[in-house]
Amino acid sequence: MGIHFKKIISVFFIVFFVAIACSSLATAGAVLSDLENQLMCKCDDKCGKVLINCTCSTADKNRKKFAKMLESGLTVDQIVQQQVEKYGETVLSAPTKNGFNLTAWVIPFGALMIGGVGLRKLLNGWVGKSKLDIEFQNTEDGAAPKSGSKKSGEMNASKYSRRLKDELDRLET
Amino acid sequence: MNDVGEFTLMVALATSLYGIVVYVMAARGNRIDLYLSADKVPLITWACVMISSIALWKAFFTNDFSLQYVYAYSNIELDYFYKFSSFWGGQKGSLLFWTLILTSYMIVVHFQNRSKNLIVVPYAMAVMLVITCFFLLLLNFSTNPFERIPLPPEDGRGLNPLLQNYWMVIHPPTLYLGYVGFTVPFAFAVAALISKNLDDAWIRLTRKWTVVSWFFLCMGNLFGASWAYVELGWGGYWAWDPVENAAFMPLIVATAYLHSVMIQEKKDMMKVWNMSLILLTFVMTIFGTFITRSGLIQSVHTFDEATLGYYFLGLLFFIIAACIVLIVLRLPLLKSENELDSFLSREAGFLFNNLLLLGIAFATFWGTIFPIISEAVRGVKITVGPPFYNQVNVPIGLALLALIGIGPIIAWRRATWSNLKKNFLKPLMFASVGGAVLFPILPLSNRSEIYTYIAFILCIFVLSSMLIEFYKGTMARYTSSETVLGALGSLIWNNKRRYGGYTVHIGVVMIYAGIAASQSYGIHTEKRVKIGETIEIRDYILRYEKLAAIQATSVKTRIIAQLAVEKNGKRIWTARPEKEFYKGQNQPVSEVDVRSTLASDLYVILADFSEDESATIKVYHNPMVKWLWTGGWVIALGTMVCAWPDRLEQRRRLERLKRQQIVFSPAQE
Repeated sequence: MGIHFKKIISVFFIVFFVAIACSSLATAGAVLSDLENQLMCKCDDKCGKVLINCTCSTADKNRKKFAKMLESGLTVDQIVQQQVEKYGETVLSAPTKNGFNLTAWVIPFGALMIGGVGLRKLLNGWVGKSKLDIEFQNTEDGAAPKSGSKKSGEMNASKYSRRLKDELDRLET
Repeated sequence: MNDVGEFTLMVALATSLYGIVVYVMAARGNRIDLYLSADKVPLITWACVMISSIALWKAFFTNDFSLQYVYAYSNIELDYFYKFSSFWGGQKGSLLFWTLILTSYMIVVHFQNRSKNLIVVPYAMAVMLVITCFFLLLLNFSTNPFERIPLPPEDGRGLNPLLQNYWMVIHPPTLYLGYVGFTVPFAFAVAALISKNLDDAWIRLTRKWTVVSWFFLCMGNLFGASWAYVELGWGGYWAWDPVENAAFMPLIVATAYLHSVMIQEKKDMMKVWNMSLILLTFVMTIFGTFITRSGLIQSVHTFDEATLGYYFLGLLFFIIAACIVLIVLRLPLLKSENELDSFLSREAGFLFNNLLLLGIAFATFWGTIFPIISEAVRGVKITVGPPFYNQVNVPIGLALLALIGIGPIIAWRRATWSNLKKNFLKPLMFASVGGAVLFPILPLSNRSEIYTYIAFILCIFVLSSMLIEFYKGTMARYTSSETVLGALGSLIWNNKRRYGGYTVHIGVVMIYAGIAASQSYGIHTEKRVKIGETIEIRDYILRYEKLAAIQATSVKTRIIAQLAVEKNGKRIWTARPEKEFYKGQNQPVSEVDVRSTLASDLYVILADFSEDESATIKVYHNPMVKWLWTGGWVIALGTMVCAWPDRLEQRRRLERLKRQQIVFSPAQE
């Protein structure tokens, strides 16, 4: 492998992972938008929309109320807490990251990790099996002249089949 | 005509029941006479459902309010365009519409395959008829669209104003064409399991159905997003609503299937996996219907009279149980020689692609049902909204985007370092250069913006890898006697599946780029303005010119604000956002006005107004939203190329099989 290719891959992955790492350190953007993102609209129609996405008159009133609360010096967390006390957890647009609700966040990534480990094991088995087959065929290759014409025929067939597979794969890559 | 519509629904039910019995008996007893006796069943069932549908449409067009359904979803003033779409505006009509599409698909399958595979096809038809029968049972005995009102009112209640949009005519049918389309591969998969014909015949018979259904589901999702964007007036297009999730999940599982099935076609591996994926796709389509019609989960899409939950839950359990039993019983026959030459291979790439796609589908499913789980475990109902899905699905989605670029350019079986270098060097170079150029331009102040930056780098990587593939293929064919365009055309024409697939990937990349940019760099402002006052956003100045009221119909009044939009001192557009007031409706409907370009959308909403003609105007500046819709059309183009009949491919496949038979046969030596 050329030295340039290695360098390009290294630079690419460094840029990529630094960006990912930065993402977890980054702070939130606009405060009112954050608040609107964290809360559901609680209108009489039970529209089921996040406040930032809702256009009903109740949502507009609440937006104005929250803007005033933020101006008065309350933080986003304090307003959210007030709303939870008033309406319960259902006012939050996403589960909290503690207690039982933590399972909502952990399980998808847990499942993905378990799936990844399982897939890795599965692939290990499949790749190992293939290597064993090749070794077996190589052993047979060495012993072929002593094994008579039938075995020699099978050996040639598998040799040709591998060659055909290789060529077809190259053709379709 | 209403009586005829009701009667034909009964006839359709009786015919489909007859068809199920006769098809199964014909297949089990190898009775050609019975098979021939069922020959007209799909046609009769379809004709009956069609007559019933025409009867319902006629009732809408003639304002026949003696039908409870017409009364609930139409009125005299309703435009004919929306009278047509009111058909599927409520639960009863939408079930009839589903049945109409299902039976239409069924007759196409019947005429396509009736003389092709006499072992698998009867069972497949029986499975499709069982599903049809379920819907006909609901239509006849639970949600009859021809239910009468003893004293018919003079006028109807009218269609929900939010549904009075041209997307209402396009989005639900497209989505249904996708949902219902997966019944065909599902039916053939189940038929293959029952009849023990577990080679790849069922895959070949249904490949195009799968591709076309996937396409409709994809476009249905995009059209839904587009509708939400122009109609709901909040500047966004996707809210991770449970019903949106329900349409998204089968799409993702079907995408996984479309990729993994290539490994079965090529290497005869992963039969159990592919079978499970297609069955899961169908289960997910029924799950989506269950959510919409059960009222179990709160959603803006739920039907008013969502009472069919138990029926769909029953169907869901029946299908899942039947599929599991069938797969377990046929496991010995589904076993395949699973071998891989290397981790560094396209096969492994496809498997990781499957893992990520199913990861996204699972996270979405988990988020959708978590409120129910929370209520069951803690007794507290919580909400799982966009922040959850964005935090969970975005990282997985980015990894998937990287695989979209890696998959098509990594070699089958085993990629060597020289092969990797040859294929990856240029795309990585382009991505690195793109990343370096974008770094000083793009703001990176929060997590969303950093994710977007990563997404852009990956988009450049994928796009360059795809375009290089097109370039290499074209140059290999380019001769002095042929133009470059001619060479490109013949390259695609002779490898439709491959280059159609690449085109679809380009469309997907455009969608990724559009989502990334609009989610992170969109800004909005809101201002109360009097006539002559201005609002500024980015490089635009919006000058409020006037407010007008128009009595559009006896039930609809339109309030229209007019704003002159200037850029660099030049008037470039006139925005006319409006609010529509419907008689008998509590909330007015916002009709936004959008100036859309590839760079950005200027999205103007009339939020409020008062008698002194002052108005509250909301303006969104959403970058690159048009990339989403354009990406959709690129996907459409790619799918069309993929699904185009390809004699060359069939001939190549036959030749390859012949050559393999020659080489693999020891007798030839």
